[in-house]
Amino acid sequence: MSMSPLAAGDRPTWQPGRRLLSSGALLLALLALWPIGGLLGEGLQGLLTGSAQLGPDGGAQLRGTTLLLLGTALLGGTLGTANGWLLANCRFPGRRLLRVAQLLPLASPSYLLAATLVDLGSRQGLRIHGLGWGVLVMAVSTYPYVFLLSTESFTICGRRQLEACRCLGVGPWNSFRRIALPLALPAIGAGIALMGMEVVNELGAVQLLGIPSLSAGILQAWQAEGNPAGAVGLALITLCIVMVLLVGERRLRRRSRRWTEGVAGGESPAWPLQGQRALGAQVLGLVPPLLSLGIPLLWTARNLDQLRAGFSGELLQLTGRSLGLGLAAAGLAVAAALVLAIAKRWSSAAWLRSLTFLAGMGYAVPGAVLALALLLLGSPWRLAPLLLLLWGYSDRFLAVAKGGLDAALERLSPSLDEAATGLGCRWPAVLQRIHLPLLRGPLAVGALLVFVDTVKELPLTFALRPFDFDTLSVRVFQYASDERLAAALWPALMILTLGLIAALALIPGLERQGQDQAPSRG
Amino acid sequence: MRITRKTAGRNAGLLALLLASSGLLAACNTSGRQEIGVYSGRHYNTDQELYDRFTAETGIKVKLLEAKDDALIQRLRSEGSNSPADVLILADAARLDRAAHLDLFQSVDSAALEAAVPADLRDPNNRWFGLTRRLRAPMVNPAQVQPTEVNSYRKLADPALKGRLCLRNRRSVYNQSLVAFMLDREGEAATAAWIRGMVANLAQPVYGSDTPMIRAVAQGRCGVALANSYYLGRLQAGDKGADDQKLSAAVQVVWPDPVHVNITGGGITRHSQHPKEARRFLEFLASNQAQGGYAAANHEYPIRGFGNDPVLSAWGPFRQADVSAARLGELNGKALDLMTANGWQ
Repeated sequence: MSMSPLAAGDRPTWQPGRRLLSSGALLLALLALWPIGGLLGEGLQGLLTGSAQLGPDGGAQLRGTTLLLLGTALLGGTLGTANGWLLANCRFPGRRLLRVAQLLPLASPSYLLAATLVDLGSRQGLRIHGLGWGVLVMAVSTYPYVFLLSTESFTICGRRQLEACRCLGVGPWNSFRRIALPLALPAIGAGIALMGMEVVNELGAVQLLGIPSLSAGILQAWQAEGNPAGAVGLALITLCIVMVLLVGERRLRRRSRRWTEGVAGGESPAWPLQGQRALGAQVLGLVPPLLSLGIPLLWTARNLDQLRAGFSGELLQLTGRSLGLGLAAAGLAVAAALVLAIAKRWSSAAWLRSLTFLAGMGYAVPGAVLALALLLLGSPWRLAPLLLLLWGYSDRFLAVAKGGLDAALERLSPSLDEAATGLGCRWPAVLQRIHLPLLRGPLAVGALLVFVDTVKELPLTFALRPFDFDTLSVRVFQYASDERLAAALWPALMILTLGLIAALALIPGLERQGQDQAPSRG
Repeated sequence: MRITRKTAGRNAGLLALLLASSGLLAACNTSGRQEIGVYSGRHYNTDQELYDRFTAETGIKVKLLEAKDDALIQRLRSEGSNSPADVLILADAARLDRAAHLDLFQSVDSAALEAAVPADLRDPNNRWFGLTRRLRAPMVNPAQVQPTEVNSYRKLADPALKGRLCLRNRRSVYNQSLVAFMLDREGEAATAAWIRGMVANLAQPVYGSDTPMIRAVAQGRCGVALANSYYLGRLQAGDKGADDQKLSAAVQVVWPDPVHVNITGGGITRHSQHPKEARRFLEFLASNQAQGGYAAANHEYPIRGFGNDPVLSAWGPFRQADVSAARLGELNGKALDLMTANGWQ
């Protein structure tokens, strides 16, 4: 949902610039929607001819994905929100370190966590299998999305509101429940929607844990059974689920807007925690990162003898490619997201708003299916595989870059833009002088999330990369799926390293959030 | 406002970084040499060494793209006549057969290939050729199941094994090929009963991969499991560490009589731009000289004979069933239907 467009009286003089912006947004949205449109066409054809059927496992796959989604949203949403609140508004020993630790799971691909868990488990005679483990793996891998978005909201939930609560004798728990949580709901909703989309698209972990899922069903139908119509049928169901996630998140945001507008900034008060409460907060902050990063590291420690054998000079080349792809995809996705978000803010056209909303749907299409759609589109034009790959990444991760940006723009009062236009600024100047500085944090977070996602991304890279162009994630998955985890060790460590560097780059942004928000709001 | 120039400078820096990284990516193309494009479903480090040897011997450079077999088939289909691939290498007979039926291969006229690859391990129309043999066989923990109890695939459905059998899920193409093998030998009704019997014997819900299943046999949580022999080979050779080597010593492979044989194989793509070079490549991979490398890397069996892998030698010889690889491919669809209908998850 966007803010209301600017005063009608200003429009005539603005038309050319706005048209340019709208055209740019339209072009980007069409590029994002083109492959999905192709899929929908194929699916419609399949429905008409009767070939788009769920198949014998369709029910189980739908149930598996739904339960995994619900379980992960519940556990991951709780973990992300609780840690967001505790680490933003409470003070206890180790808080700063734990705040950083929340970002670590972003560095660890969920398929790596699942593979190392299954491997360690089977050596100990423990069978790691099924939905419960899937929920745990997905929750600890994806809860940082909720943490990142909610902590920002909890941080800017100003001193005045919470101090007013304190004056009225409202304790920390009730302040959280009655003031901070409702204010943070849009951010939490956006985080859960991102988590949900990760879950719906997850392939490696669900396959390793034996959970029937739509993503695996799509791949099975399309590639193994050669039934694209059946695959698209399942992809359509997946799209519906993600639509529900997106629409739900949008409604939450709209409903909470009236609260957000009244929020004053300032540093949030620090509720001191002591004794058992402090211990509880420490455990809650420590366990998820310990699981998501600690288990692959434990696995590594137990296989140190194989670490020496697995090293090869090729590792640098693989790392270079992953790094290059990650940077390029992050730049493209963030630039596209910015154009779409700004166009939505400046345009009153309902079609444009709907289009920018729909442009984020690429995240809903499983990577393997998106890759095939791009191959179908690209082959007649002889488009270079690398170009298709970057198109795929940008399409798929546009929602990651856009989610935080939209939420941040929601919080920027329309009066800021109105004041600027009143002083004769046009939208490029408002963008440059007001929006970009205030959006610096969300832009950086979006770019880093896209970078990390690209470095971890598998199916797209698998399907679209050119000859002799393996990446770290491709190597890890090849070896892990071939049950040769030891060979995957070095590339996995490099993914973790790149992810950690990106995650650590988020820290200054996190630390600065409260201060950055203050001048624009105080 | 705090920004303007500073932000602009940062943006320019980011753009430069992007362009530089894109340039870096684009610079990775090579051209101007005699070369072939190979799509391969195999991905072992030693494969690359073999391809390098081929380049050293022939001067033909090998451009490689390794991915999941099914994804490669789809990619080749999507690319059509624009595909840069000259050779497609896939694991499992059913996938080779599917690729042939999708018209992704061309027929190859090569006396060397026909001499190196037995007729039952290549396509009757010479569109694909087996390059290594893969065996799916019972593996037992003798403390729980005696080898004589499972010396035929049929015995795995014997009620006497109730609560002692472990299986991988039906999505494993290796299991599908095994069921296709049973379909060819026993017919539909007997194979359906065999599947139901095995499902009734399960000690654990189906597994997602072979290695944890073999470990479960070693730990006594399964008495017997059906797995590809090279997974046990890797464990017993110490490829997966000393702990696994010690653990897997408790597992014994049982050769049913006859043994179901599957393959990895390859062919020349329909739209290959370099068919002569591609044929030389396949001939090289199938040659006696290369067979040790391609098969031994993964503890698979060479396409002829038993090779000289010490782990495999310890398991002794086996009698190979006469069900052809092409037949396994033909029956794959029916096999999968039968597994679904009879409760193999």
